[in-house]
Amino acid sequence: MSSPTTLEDPGADPTAAAPRARGRVLAPPVTGQEVVLIGVIAVVWILLWIFTPAFMTPGSLQPLLVDVAPVALIGIGMTMIIITGGIDISVGGAIMVCAVSTAKMLVSLNFSIWMALLISIVIGGVLGLINGLLIAYGRVHAIIITFGTANLFQFIGLQIFHSSTVNGIPGTLASLGRGVDGRSFGVPHSFLITVVLAAIAWWYLRHTAGGRHFFAIGGDEVAARLAGVRVQRRVLLAYLITGLLIGIASLFYIAKGTSTLDQSVGAGRELAVIAAVVIGGTSIMGGRGSVLGTVLGALLVQTVTSGVTQLGWPSQLSDLFVGLAIIVAVGADLIRQRARRTA
Amino acid sequence: MTTTAPAPQVNPESAPAGASESLGSRLLRAVLTQRIVLLAVLIVLVVGVDFVLSAGGYMTAEYNFDYMATVLIDAVPLAMLALAELIVIVSGRGGIDLSIGAIVSLTGMVFGFAYGEWGWPFWAGLLLAAAVGAFLGWINGFLVARLGFPALIATLATYYAFKSLAVVINDQQPISTESIQGLDSMTRSVELPLIGQFIPNIPLGVFTFLVPTVIAVWLFLARGTYGRRIYSIGTNDVAARYSGINVAGTRMRAYVLAGLIAGLVSVYVTGEFFSARPDAGTSGNGMALPAITIAVLGGVAITGGIGRVAGVVLATLLITWLNAGILLSFEGNDGTQYQLLALGVVLIVAALLNGMANRRYGGAR
Repeated sequence: MSSPTTLEDPGADPTAAAPRARGRVLAPPVTGQEVVLIGVIAVVWILLWIFTPAFMTPGSLQPLLVDVAPVALIGIGMTMIIITGGIDISVGGAIMVCAVSTAKMLVSLNFSIWMALLISIVIGGVLGLINGLLIAYGRVHAIIITFGTANLFQFIGLQIFHSSTVNGIPGTLASLGRGVDGRSFGVPHSFLITVVLAAIAWWYLRHTAGGRHFFAIGGDEVAARLAGVRVQRRVLLAYLITGLLIGIASLFYIAKGTSTLDQSVGAGRELAVIAAVVIGGTSIMGGRGSVLGTVLGALLVQTVTSGVTQLGWPSQLSDLFVGLAIIVAVGADLIRQRARRTA
Repeated sequence: MTTTAPAPQVNPESAPAGASESLGSRLLRAVLTQRIVLLAVLIVLVVGVDFVLSAGGYMTAEYNFDYMATVLIDAVPLAMLALAELIVIVSGRGGIDLSIGAIVSLTGMVFGFAYGEWGWPFWAGLLLAAAVGAFLGWINGFLVARLGFPALIATLATYYAFKSLAVVINDQQPISTESIQGLDSMTRSVELPLIGQFIPNIPLGVFTFLVPTVIAVWLFLARGTYGRRIYSIGTNDVAARYSGINVAGTRMRAYVLAGLIAGLVSVYVTGEFFSARPDAGTSGNGMALPAITIAVLGGVAITGGIGRVAGVVLATLLITWLNAGILLSFEGNDGTQYQLLALGVVLIVAALLNGMANRRYGGAR
């Protein structure tokens, strides 16, 4: 399944190594994993189109993109975290805190969308900062710290919920939601925001010295430090950025629903985001990955989920396909890595 | 396949003991470097504070030995799954099992079919649950040990797959036939023979499920050659292979054992709820994350190769009795929320303390 892409990959050809020295330092703009993903998504879309023609209509694709947006957006930050060799399990709790506090303030103060955005981002940033400080300076493995903060954030979120739902949220955020207000030229705004931020992150990680530092840390932290990378600041930054993005994504979650927000907001999202990132070809060991892959991964997961419901299958069956997608995507990546190592 | 062995961890317990140390600093060193001592101190502290609060009338009900024994009913699945995580995490190379809650759900449904609908005898249903659990664990082990998937990813994928199958297998419906409702005798509290009058009644599940599992896992890890092998592959993959250990096979068996334990837990949970629920191990936060948290709190190093049965058991008791006290200290729903806070704080503080102790007492760097 991976052989055609490896053959097309010029970096894998040892004879072309000398004149292509620059190309070898920087991975090609679109890696093999992303080509595979684009192919898989295309095949799934075409199959769905054949079996349920209603799939290829705006009425079906627009909600799909609205659902992709928050997972892909948080996935950008998670990609940076995983590239540094870390992980964040506290995403679900952080979404809950941001969403519920912003929603409550919208209900009681009824301020503008910009104010809501600012508040949500600040809260998300603070939560990300807590994670980042503990992980970068506490010298404890990220998975342990974020298991702990996941519990903390959930506690805070549930306390703000105060054992009930938030009702009567005004339509301030409609321009980020599912409705007609949430689209320009037929494309949902939330998805547009995600694409723009993903493009910026892609450029930052790929073409700036600061961005390359994340890869250096994930490749070998000690070597990165010796080479002059401020490891702790970079690691802190990755968690901070994820927190800020969670702040934005939380608005998508508020806007997606009706005027009510219940306590299930954010539950299990951390695993969905991690799934999107690893399907996108980012190595969980750190040092390798791309934001483009993550966006494609989120798109694939959501396509599968919405495809299963449109085919009239039980909606819970979609998780089975998500699991299989992870196995196939990461398996393809493993095979390609092994081929590269032996080549 | 196995080129990324984790950096060898300096075992804090092996730090040389200074002969000239005073008693105080030796105590401090013991508390900081030996997780078991720290946990024991914390348990005494928590139970003591709870008793004082209870005597002072600050709790909604009395916190006494009877209550402490009753809440052990919740400790049984938690401790067993934490032991499963212990085995997997110790096996190293980023070992972890996110799918364990989903295995509980799926095998619980299979047990529900066998015992509740097909009328199998109990022992046959139990064996089937254990076998199915072990098979699901084998899938994890095959992906991780043979194919080289990172454990976090492989078990994330199987978490989704098993969770989905558990829900779809009976069209989202729980199985709650008469024979399954009759299982509640399994979780009832019993009076022990001979010494029963002097100590509180203890839930039966502690003796039928928890104690045998604890002893079996302890024998496996601390007294058998398999245990030696699993600690050695967890500490250093490559060195273990050069000393003639079948690394992939040993690691695979760790996941099979974890699945088997999850299969047993599913039977217990079915009895506890009086029904086989499709989301038994996956609803809310699921069972995997708390189990991993308990294991880590019990001193299991996430990098592999370090971790003891006693630490995991003590960590479970600490969290169970802490939660029980919190539940009585708050009105209504607040108690369950403060349990989240307590778990989070205890975990982070324990982890930071561990890092500090490592640096102070000849740790890494």
